[in-house]
Amino acid sequence: MAEKQLQSTLAAAAFQKQWFGDLRRRVFDERQPYALIQADVPFELFDLLEIPAVSNQWWSSLVAAKRQAPAFLAAMSADGIPDQLCRYCSLGLATTRYPNAGEAPWGGLPAPRMLCARLTCDCIHRVFSLWADAFGTELFEIEHPAATELPPRWWELTRNRWRELIEPHRLEFVAATLEHLIERLESISERRLDRAQLRERLARVNRQEEIFDATRQLIAAAPATPVRMTEQIANVMATQWVRGTDWAVAHAQHFHDEVRARVDSGVAAYDNEKLRLMWVGAGLWHDTDFYTAFEDSHGAVFVWSMYLAFGPDGYIRYGLEDPLAALASRTASFNEFLHNPPWAAEWTVAQALEHRIDAALVLHPKSMKPSATGRIFIESALEQAGIPVLAVEADVVDARAWDPVAARKTVATFLDQRVLQ
Amino acid sequence: MSAGAIDELRAEFDDPFRKLGRDAARDRGMVVMSWPSVPVELVRAAGLLPVFARGRNTPTPAADRVLEPGLFPNRLRQLVEAALTERLVNVAAIVLPRSSDPDYKCFLYLRELARRGIAAALPPVLLFDLLHSDDQDARAYNADRTRDLAARLADLAGRQLRADDVRSAIVSANRARAAARRLHSLRNDSPRIAGADVLPLLGAVWQVEPERYAALANATADALAPRVPLEGRRVLVAGVPVDTPVMHAAIEAEGAVVVAELSPFGGCGTSVDVETTDDPFAALAGHYATESIDARLPVNALMRKLDALLGTAQAVVLSQPEEDASFGWDYPRVRELLARRSIPHTVLSGDPAFGATAADRQRVRSLLGSAPARPEIRGG
Repeated sequence: MAEKQLQSTLAAAAFQKQWFGDLRRRVFDERQPYALIQADVPFELFDLLEIPAVSNQWWSSLVAAKRQAPAFLAAMSADGIPDQLCRYCSLGLATTRYPNAGEAPWGGLPAPRMLCARLTCDCIHRVFSLWADAFGTELFEIEHPAATELPPRWWELTRNRWRELIEPHRLEFVAATLEHLIERLESISERRLDRAQLRERLARVNRQEEIFDATRQLIAAAPATPVRMTEQIANVMATQWVRGTDWAVAHAQHFHDEVRARVDSGVAAYDNEKLRLMWVGAGLWHDTDFYTAFEDSHGAVFVWSMYLAFGPDGYIRYGLEDPLAALASRTASFNEFLHNPPWAAEWTVAQALEHRIDAALVLHPKSMKPSATGRIFIESALEQAGIPVLAVEADVVDARAWDPVAARKTVATFLDQRVLQ
Repeated sequence: MSAGAIDELRAEFDDPFRKLGRDAARDRGMVVMSWPSVPVELVRAAGLLPVFARGRNTPTPAADRVLEPGLFPNRLRQLVEAALTERLVNVAAIVLPRSSDPDYKCFLYLRELARRGIAAALPPVLLFDLLHSDDQDARAYNADRTRDLAARLADLAGRQLRADDVRSAIVSANRARAAARRLHSLRNDSPRIAGADVLPLLGAVWQVEPERYAALANATADALAPRVPLEGRRVLVAGVPVDTPVMHAAIEAEGAVVVAELSPFGGCGTSVDVETTDDPFAALAGHYATESIDARLPVNALMRKLDALLGTAQAVVLSQPEEDASFGWDYPRVRELLARRSIPHTVLSGDPAFGATAADRQRVRSLLGSAPARPEIRGG
């Protein structure tokens, strides 16, 4: 594994481990409630009502990074659940349903007081229903009305014109659903949500994402990328799960300042950068070394993933007079920006051009079916913009079918034959 | 009459989609849909005819160039193939329900293909966004979306759509449903007709003018009732809902009789009438939200439907094609239910529109060999 170049990366990892340890202590020793939720659920509501929330995707990535996913997923296969089904959203379920199959990180997930999921993909209701059964706990579902009008260049509308971006009937419905979620959380926590505090929290989320925006600009404009993509992700995601908190805003600033200092000093993540790569899709959590594997051989450095870039473009909402409506506008179309045509393709190309990308590697996640859609448009748009594309067939948490040597060889051939020529 | 009725129903099941693109005047009265989670009553009330894209064993080269492999079911590949080869140029509209991610993505893809000029001439492409959550907000949302679809269809048809028109379409469709139920009842205790033969007759309910359907289905039921019951193990087909009789035929080729299927194209597609209330739009929304059998139907509702269908089934075949992202998650619950009822099952992985693979046929043989010889009375 490549050495960590930023102090903030070490601080982020330490914070997460400490945070999870505190969570287990609170749950087991103090019998406090916590929630297990999908990454696109508004964490702010849980935090403001003092119900800590664990992200399903974060937990899956952690299990995969600890090389435990194959054991749990093999147990799920042996239980008759087809291998073709989404592993990213269900790996956490597998750690609960088959607890003896592997060793869950950091002592495993305690039983949550609530599971909460937004019903984006068809599988979410089913995965979370099974998980709620396994824990014997309640499930709150956020229904997902579908967008029928998808205005172009969505990222130019999210900050100030979000009422134009999200159709009124969808915005109203999601806001009403969030009201019900608040009622349920208030009942669990025996506290009342202070709307002024919510507005203040969202303003702080804006502040955090503005810092990320500045960091993104630094990375895009620097002669050579000052921070590896993997370290960008580690810092951004540790922050996003607790977004808008004191620690999150301070950490975003710490990360920015370190990047700024490296840029000012002319320090690059890799000294001999020749090619700038982008990774399109969720992270390859079971093999993050993949992202530094082409530095010495080709001078190829991964500069961009969605994780940093999506923060400012996806989260910032100005005009917080009705904070719940603003939050609903983010929730209503959250990850659709990353997958649905025409949104995903035009944003990816815009990001590629801004970051002076030489080649793109696009994840083809066989089991994550909705995430796998739209890529045909992304790939053709990138190619039309003059950016060579390599499709990478992989599951982001399931390493069982992943051949790291063959994958690296394929990428090397692609760089030799399509990019360096 | 019965042979003619059967032939007509079968033709009405098979032909409408296949014939699109041959007669522009006829096509102009058609609305093409991808799954019967769209209220056909609205289409008919607007003076249009519903036509469904279903799975077929014909190649889809144009669609395969724009749809990623393993993600879209055969029926959507057929629909996109028809769109890209300009067979849908003259139809009044394409309506995709939000009944699964692939249906929704197909809606987005068609619009994007049109925007990019890849699909040169497409009719209006509409989404019917139906939520399956059973709460007041979702019900109100669904009713609102139903009214919106009705208005769009009426606009396309160039006519005013009154609530009475919709009520009348509901009453008429319910008569067709009653006839379909009568036909389906002939499969229950002593099956008078093979599953592969009856599925097209039941599935035709979505496309045939309702009064005509009722007449044809009742005539067919009259003719079938005196028949000698069929021998063979009684099989229920579940898993990913089938939209063709091909899998039924493969199972019945091994000596079984398919007596029911968890599919809107089979008996359970018409098991409940639409209520006739003051607000026909809300009634339709409520009906389709709870009765549509699709990938977003909540698992508890789906399990109740499966439980009700088991009846005298001696074995269950679960269809689990590659592109499924949803129904496979029900397997632990289905397995548990079937174990409680002592009903053996197997899982087939082939595309149900292409017939059974050799491995699938072997699984069916093994299943039938393990199924109990006679129907048993089982507790619910």
